[in-house]
Amino acid sequence: MEERDVPTGSDPVIDAYRGGVDHSLLRENLQRSVEERFLRLMEMQRFATELRRAGRQATASS
Amino acid sequence: MDYAKALQALARGGVEFILVGGAAATAHGSARLTQDLDVVYRRNDTNLERLVESLALHDPYLRGAPPGLPFRLDVSTLRHGLNFTLTTNLGDLDLLGEIVGGGTYEDLVEHSLWLELFGIRCRCLDLETLIQTKRAAGRPKDFDAIAELEAIVRIRPRPE
Repeated sequence: MEERDVPTGSDPVIDAYRGGVDHSLLRENLQRSVEERFLRLMEMQRFATELRRAGRQATASS
Repeated sequence: MDYAKALQALARGGVEFILVGGAAATAHGSARLTQDLDVVYRRNDTNLERLVESLALHDPYLRGAPPGLPFRLDVSTLRHGLNFTLTTNLGDLDLLGEIVGGGTYEDLVEHSLWLELFGIRCRCLDLETLIQTKRAAGRPKDFDAIAELEAIVRIRPRPE
């Protein structure tokens, strides 16, 4: 994807979040096609839905 | 959210829209989990008609509203509103007439890229403008997303 180069200004609030960015995960993701990125997102959504369901069930039965 | 079916429904219906928000971030390489599909749609009459037709089979309804309201997503509804947060049988869909820091479809179209995925072509906001809109929105929930998108700007492969 060809894009413009626009400098992103420094913001101390955003800077505080930079340490939490997983660069290796991003590099891995950038190797994927756009379609693969969406397929992976949908897998993550299904996993999150299943975790929420399991959490509700565990809370209800305790 | 079934992104394949939702994007296919819009694109095959001839709807003019630009992918924005978390789904656009995913397209650019974000690893964050997002749950919905945000699009900025063009607000001319033809496009409103196409939008209504494309979503008619997908049970659009106002997200968070109590069931049973006499809500119909038709051209009149779209004309009288601007931004709609909807549920559909494909997942949550936000139809945005304009976004903070970016403006309308016409303002954003020159800052968009064509994506090819799931057998269709659709426009997606470019990475720099996506960051700009998230910065302009100033929502705390976007702070780590902005940090991640700025990291992508630094590490993404450059076009040759």
